[in-house]
Amino acid sequence: MYIRIAEKVMENPETVTLYFSYEFPSVPGQFVMVDVPGKEEIPVSLSSESSITVKAVGDTTQKMLNLGKGTIVGIRGPYGNGFKAVEGNKLVVGGGIGIAPLRYLVRWLERDIDVVYGVKTVKEFIFFEELRAKNVVFITENGSFGEKGTVIDILESMDLGKYDQIYVCGPEMMIASILNLFEREKILPLTQISVERYMKCGIGICGSCCIDPFGLRVCVEGPVFNGEILKNSEIGKYHRNGSGRKYVWKN
Amino acid sequence: MLEVRIGDMVLENPTVLASGIMGTTVSSLNRIARVAGGVVTKSVTSEPREGFKNPTVVNVNCGILNAVGLSNPSAKLFAQELERYNGEAPLIVSLAGSEEEIPELVSFFPMAQGFELNLSCPHVGSMGAELGSDPELVENICRRVKKRTSKPIFVKLSPNVTDIVEIGRGAERGGADGVVAINTLRAMVIDVEAGKPILSNRIGGLSGKAIKPVAVRCVYELFETLKIPVIGCGGIITWRDAVEFLMAGASAVQIGSGVFYGTSIFKSVIEGIKDFLVRKNLSLEDVIGMAHRN
Repeated sequence: MYIRIAEKVMENPETVTLYFSYEFPSVPGQFVMVDVPGKEEIPVSLSSESSITVKAVGDTTQKMLNLGKGTIVGIRGPYGNGFKAVEGNKLVVGGGIGIAPLRYLVRWLERDIDVVYGVKTVKEFIFFEELRAKNVVFITENGSFGEKGTVIDILESMDLGKYDQIYVCGPEMMIASILNLFEREKILPLTQISVERYMKCGIGICGSCCIDPFGLRVCVEGPVFNGEILKNSEIGKYHRNGSGRKYVWKN
Repeated sequence: MLEVRIGDMVLENPTVLASGIMGTTVSSLNRIARVAGGVVTKSVTSEPREGFKNPTVVNVNCGILNAVGLSNPSAKLFAQELERYNGEAPLIVSLAGSEEEIPELVSFFPMAQGFELNLSCPHVGSMGAELGSDPELVENICRRVKKRTSKPIFVKLSPNVTDIVEIGRGAERGGADGVVAINTLRAMVIDVEAGKPILSNRIGGLSGKAIKPVAVRCVYELFETLKIPVIGCGGIITWRDAVEFLMAGASAVQIGSGVFYGTSIFKSVIEGIKDFLVRKNLSLEDVIGMAHRN
């Protein structure tokens, strides 16, 4: 479908939220395929029922930063398996731009939530005012705001056992460390983690986003998976490009 | 009850995963092989191909359009991937390339139980449709591949030709063990807001519901003329679609775009065919080609 950008908010110099005057029938964690004419179509998580938030990391996202209010973009979706609501105490863990789908999640869960949100420097924080109203631990790697260190440092100092469910989204290396930590703490079954893979069709047929060893499709069975499934998968080890060739992650 | 023999190949049931669908990684092929009667990989070429830029796939009301562009990591790397194949159903490796390249690819895949020659990719000019629309070229390629392997080979036929039977005859003369009909139909979707085709390659191939009647007709015509088995492909979503292909003369069917409705489609088609055979008190052999006898 084709949707007009109703509002554009620059979250920081390299991150933009595009709002549409349409509420996607969706749950947090689901994504849409965004087609900016002339650029590569890409999967983007919803940051609310009517918005997407992207950081300029490639050709398409750079272009999205420069799209004006009123521009029409092509959208397919929402697709995928999102986060599931759970009773009890919840912890939401976000790293970098991974906070985008979690912002939708935090709005949706409403209560009994703690948030841990880490970035490199203070300039990177987005949805800051909105999140500040919640129980959030802000973390910067350089100590320019909040706690100094990484998300992992903070999680290691916390009592994770008190949470009934932990939701995670962030860079793959952060997720890899988190999976190790959750395994040590024996809480993997209580976690829902959103991951990313190179995607073509978005609808479960092309096989580009399948993760080893079970051949699960990030676009259908994911992008949100239980931590136990991810612990024994390729996540944190390698990924594939458009041709299907494997690339080992470098720390 | 549903076992099918095609050449030396025994399929536990007549459903086969079509090429290009969930065929990039061995783990996704393993997943389908647990249920399907056979699996066909994504086409491989001698050199790696990234394929076209997204959008490479677009849904339309009556099916799916794609121009993925034969993306694959090269025969060499894909063969390493396939070393972990679980062997739960015959593995058919799809080969693409030029007349010279295709025969050279065979030796990479000792784990394959058969080969499908993709001579009909509708959106990569030099590697697909051009080869597949010349019956003599098809005959020559089959002959060259047969010299390299004793395993069954199948030719995937394009509907984008004047007479598909002519091409099928070429394959048969060249020694092919069967033909697969049909590949996608050349098609286009235009973004009216942007005023340009949606697919980055502009033209793609249409699959799914829309092409089923075309595919059934092709299978029917091929069955009338050829002695080698025909495998039907194009828009199979339910058991009823599959039975239609069998009645037109298909010995087995391939399911591709239908996976959009879930990977359980193989199971539901298999169970549906079984129920149909029981209900009508028929064997699979009775059904294959039935429309020609009635």
